[in-house]
Amino acid sequence: MAKDLISSGSLSDIRVLDLTRVWAGPLATRVMGDFGADIIKISDPRVQLLSSNGLNHKLNRNKRNIGIRLDIEEGRDVLLGLVKKSDVIIENFRPRVMRNLNIGYDVLKTVKPDIIFVSMPGFGVDGPYSEYPAFGTTAEAVAGIPSLIGYGDGVPISTGIAYGDPISGLNAITLIMAALRIKNQTGHGQFIDIALSASPLCNLGEYVGAYSGSNKVPNPSGNRSKEYSPQGAFRCRGRDQWIAISVFNNREWMNLKNLLNDSDVNDIQTDTLEHRKNHEEIIEGALAKWTSRLDAFEAVSLLQENGIRSGNVSSGAQLLEDAHLNDRDFFFDFEEEEYGWKRYDGNSIPGNKIPKSKWSGTNDVGVNSKEILTDLLGYTESLCKELASKEAVYFGD
Amino acid sequence: MLGSHQGNGHVLPLNGIRVLEVSEGVAGPYCGRYLASMGAEVVKIERPPHGDWSREIGPFIEGLPIGDNSALYSYNNQGKKSVLLEWTSSEGFQKLQSMVSEFDVLLEDWDLALRDEIGIPSGKFIDSDPRLIEISVTPFGLSGPYASWKSSPIVQLALGGYLYLTGERGKEPLMLPGRQPDYLTGLNASAAIHIALWERDRSGSGQFLEMSMLETLATLHQFTMEMTTFEGVLRMRNGNQWQRESSFASYGITTLPCSDGYICFGISTEDQWERLCAMIGRTDLIDDPDYDTRIKRADNSEYLDTLVTEWIADRTRREIFVETSEIWGLPTAPILDMAEVVKDDQFRYREIFYDQDLGDSQVVTFPTYPYIASKMKPNIGLPPSLGEHTEDFLATN
Repeated sequence: MAKDLISSGSLSDIRVLDLTRVWAGPLATRVMGDFGADIIKISDPRVQLLSSNGLNHKLNRNKRNIGIRLDIEEGRDVLLGLVKKSDVIIENFRPRVMRNLNIGYDVLKTVKPDIIFVSMPGFGVDGPYSEYPAFGTTAEAVAGIPSLIGYGDGVPISTGIAYGDPISGLNAITLIMAALRIKNQTGHGQFIDIALSASPLCNLGEYVGAYSGSNKVPNPSGNRSKEYSPQGAFRCRGRDQWIAISVFNNREWMNLKNLLNDSDVNDIQTDTLEHRKNHEEIIEGALAKWTSRLDAFEAVSLLQENGIRSGNVSSGAQLLEDAHLNDRDFFFDFEEEEYGWKRYDGNSIPGNKIPKSKWSGTNDVGVNSKEILTDLLGYTESLCKELASKEAVYFGD
Repeated sequence: MLGSHQGNGHVLPLNGIRVLEVSEGVAGPYCGRYLASMGAEVVKIERPPHGDWSREIGPFIEGLPIGDNSALYSYNNQGKKSVLLEWTSSEGFQKLQSMVSEFDVLLEDWDLALRDEIGIPSGKFIDSDPRLIEISVTPFGLSGPYASWKSSPIVQLALGGYLYLTGERGKEPLMLPGRQPDYLTGLNASAAIHIALWERDRSGSGQFLEMSMLETLATLHQFTMEMTTFEGVLRMRNGNQWQRESSFASYGITTLPCSDGYICFGISTEDQWERLCAMIGRTDLIDDPDYDTRIKRADNSEYLDTLVTEWIADRTRREIFVETSEIWGLPTAPILDMAEVVKDDQFRYREIFYDQDLGDSQVVTFPTYPYIASKMKPNIGLPPSLGEHTEDFLATN
């Protein structure tokens, strides 16, 4: 029979060693930490984690931190000890880095045979580009994303969001959970290699399929679409204020046409998708004229009241103030002595998470080194001092 | 057909898990596809007469019958069974209720309007089954001011803060290709289901999981909100370059034309900047007082673009990619179009593409999944014809 949900979060029996940096990896482990997993972030003491730009605060909440020099023998030994106590280790270096530190999967599985080892390199751990450096923006380029964004002048435009990273992070959560399930069923760990560049490609399945069937290369044309017309972003009153509108069927179009009440539009035939595609410039012009007089939020309210797909083109500042997200208590407001109250994004994955009131902020390098070494590995005070003096482990300021 | 270099001993982690998918389009179905690839039995309920609306949405594959020729549907429904059932009628609704008890997971996309129309309360579909995991995947969730709003990919990108960040400054913001918000939400839903299955294995409890597409997008930003909260700077779209405002400003994230297309540079660290200077034969810039800070380099990015363009102009993307990566250790990437993506050496080496015979000798290429694992290999099945498996399920119920 069903019992109560696990009070400390669904993943409270899982421990993850997190060697990832920047974004894709930390995003995946942040999600798991919110669900109660013990995330031990391993940082190089020579690189401070906290900075005034907020990035680490955002991505490294609910994680413990230990500072280890993996290039020092005693530091590496500490890692091996931690591996014995963990379910998952995750890293996003170039493939040769873990190999050169002699902590690749082949080594770690001799220490902990059922360890789940997750690598998230730019192009994958093998193949002709495997050692090439990469980050989200270059990863999306080889997957074809910028070739599908543009104003129709042939110049490709990258996404503003280093798109390879968030998709890889989301894939990593599913794959880690699947591997944990296999481990529970069979007792086996495994090696998982997620290529940053492959993740965006898998979000373009219909483009790949259609190309292979036709050999026609799709070219972007602003925000125009084959299925939605009109569709685009339209400027409203105020500085850089825009709204997005897309019309899917005739009913929606008739509602929009009534709102517009534009003589140029009323004069032409627009009652099918094909007709509207033929007159896109006239329709878009009328729409732009109409929205330019309106406040963005008022325009969207009016459009949505009339069943028309639309939304404000929100900046980061507007996102933080978004009425809907705030109504649903999406954000995480957190106060730290040095930075004051700050608002962060919450966790969009529903389920049995630690309550937000118990979430912890980002720990700087080495803050939890002592408790991890003594509680988890049973190290003595003198051994900790020795590791500190050899600079193998950093215990914070 | 998938990578033979993956080795043997693969396990399908979701073997024995049964998923009832009452969800159309991309977000829910992409999630179902992922679960099917891991061994879950995914039964998709489609309404007569036309089934999932994405069957009628392009891009289309030539040579296949209408209804089975959508690349969008085919990709997102690989490996599922299709049952034709008018479940919104009272008889059909009872049928659906009786079917649900045979499943572990109910994956549905019923927004508030549909729930009102059919009389499904805004909560769990079936109360009597405490082990059932029900996931509701909708554009805005089931509460809050936008809960009954109409959505589309560009509307999600707008409200989720992606649109504002992509495109040229001052010009119309641009959308990401295809249906990215749906794909991201599908990945998020897959993670949620895996975590809920883990919880159920421990506590015995199923859950009702309410997932919102807008919240999914809002958690996938790297700097967007933190630039406001920590630096007091608005993050803006800025073509292919990082904006000058903010502590991240520097030179080197840029896209430049070369002899056969465009190449994307992702230079961000000090040592990468120095190596870039060495590469173009201008080590004098390293100590030049006009270029010795990140901000100064950002201010001079137009001039620096001309210097790098001189170096790359006569070379091909491939030559530049190989030399910058192998010799100079700089993250760069060719911007590939669809025709080039499917021929790319790295993707081919990792065997990410899968050629699927969709009948009538129409072989279509789709991407598989962005990972290679030692004990997991995706199981790629065919997309079902409309109602192909109706008799298997409705005759026995």
